[in-house]
Amino acid sequence: MRGTPWCPLGACAEWGACAESGADRGENRQRAGQRQREEPGRAGPAMAALGVAVRALARQGRSAGPWACLGLDWPAMQVRGNHVWYTSLLLPRAVLPVRGEPLRKKKKVDPKKEQAAKDRLKKRIKKLEKATQELIPIEDFITPMKYLEEERQRPEQQLPVEDSERRTFLMKKWAVYRQQEHEAERDKIASMLEAQQEALRELRLESELLYQAATRRDESLFPFEKEGPTYTPASPGYQAPEGKYNDVTKVYVQVDHRK
Amino acid sequence: MESSSSSYTRCLVGKCGAEGGTGLENAVHRGEGRKMAAPVRRLLYGAARGSGRPWGARTLGGAAAAASGRSAASSNGGSPWRLLGALCLQRPPIVSQPLTPLQVEMAELLQQIEVEKSRYSDHEIRALEETRRLERKKADIYDSDDDDEQNILLAQDLEDTWEQTFLQFKPQPRVTEADQKNDRTSLHRKLDQNLVLLVKEKMGDQETWMLPHAEWQDGETLRGTAERALATVSQNSVEAKFLGNAPCGYYKFKYPQAFRTENNIGAKVFFFKALLRSGDLSQARKKDDHAWVSKEELGDYLKPKYLAQVRRFFMDI
Repeated sequence: MRGTPWCPLGACAEWGACAESGADRGENRQRAGQRQREEPGRAGPAMAALGVAVRALARQGRSAGPWACLGLDWPAMQVRGNHVWYTSLLLPRAVLPVRGEPLRKKKKVDPKKEQAAKDRLKKRIKKLEKATQELIPIEDFITPMKYLEEERQRPEQQLPVEDSERRTFLMKKWAVYRQQEHEAERDKIASMLEAQQEALRELRLESELLYQAATRRDESLFPFEKEGPTYTPASPGYQAPEGKYNDVTKVYVQVDHRK
Repeated sequence: MESSSSSYTRCLVGKCGAEGGTGLENAVHRGEGRKMAAPVRRLLYGAARGSGRPWGARTLGGAAAAASGRSAASSNGGSPWRLLGALCLQRPPIVSQPLTPLQVEMAELLQQIEVEKSRYSDHEIRALEETRRLERKKADIYDSDDDDEQNILLAQDLEDTWEQTFLQFKPQPRVTEADQKNDRTSLHRKLDQNLVLLVKEKMGDQETWMLPHAEWQDGETLRGTAERALATVSQNSVEAKFLGNAPCGYYKFKYPQAFRTENNIGAKVFFFKALLRSGDLSQARKKDDHAWVSKEELGDYLKPKYLAQVRRFFMDI
């Protein structure tokens, strides 16, 4: 409580919830002082006035001791009923514990303790930094346990000999076919490259400047984006059916402890 | 691209006007291809020591022509060849190529193997349980116990509804009408192959089919010439993405004896590749003048030597 701003009335822990202009405060203080002189010890409004007086004095820094002789129940007095009125009157800027306890001095050992605590925290942070970062798990590589159950397995089927032979022959034919495809692609690329090199050589024979311009890097080429071919061509004016979907993908964030 | 071409223009016209040598050095230092700087510099100095005439002369000739106001038919300095920049405008395939029988077989086999090695999915388990329940119902009567667990919708019903939804979707045909009519000017034919633009131009007396080209002018790169050719042919209705500054091929030809002069033996055409992004030639040119042609059909249009050179860089897929 001490050291944190709190409402002088003790009713609420909020500071400044009942703030008002300085001019009003000055006036109200004077009025409060007058009232105190006029009506000492009367119940009701007098209590309110006394509360005001106590605050005013507390602001001036005096302890509440002398006022005990007034017979007022000092700590227990709560001016809750006139809370609103007081809030309009009072605006102490200084945050003083009006309960009256003298301020405790900060002990000399405290800074050392704080320093020790900070060092411990720093050590922990360094340990975290040195440790390798937790990697984001790849969902596809983690088999959910329910798929490893017994009942999920398909029945073992022994293929007849002809089928397995057919499969083996098909695989071999496929290997040959893929090799031919690869060689054809390689030859195409080589032919294109050769044509380009010849063109550049001829260009060089013509004009060095044009050759330089041709061999310069084209900055606008990359990033290069192009949509690939689909199975059927796009229908003009096609409206995709509307629908909602819940995106339940888990998003992981890798926390970088290093600063 | 705009900024680089304009800077190139400035260099030609402004800085290297008087001395071809210094201009070439500027070009070398300015160029981004720093790896080439050393051997190119050696070449240049060798050329300067030897006969720097062809290159130096070209820039001098260029500067003089620029000074005199850019004549379109400027001769290329000392070289007897005229330079033309041509455009290989390709429409990339829209649809995937059909599978060969071997590929179809292999695809089926791989699918089978994948299914054999897999586990049952939730949908499959549900279908199996329901078939078992139906069998039990027919054989014996256990209805009272099973009624709680039973769903109204069976897995089989779900599959049927999915099938129906799929059949309701009518995709566009892969073999279009233009294919059937063999309309060579349409872009919507042979969707699984590369098509290239050919135009019919008058060379001398004859009308020949060739790739669209334009004569090189001073102050532009050859790629700029190709871009100009595209703009002329399409009248700015076509958008294309050029693939780099370098030519993809060239074709050298000599003029017939009647037209040859001292300085003008023939011409060299340099081809530049571009991918068609959007636009059409239907408005720019008449029906007979242009065609979108695949690699097999090139032979119907082009002359043999020209065809041989074009086939080296234009691929069917």
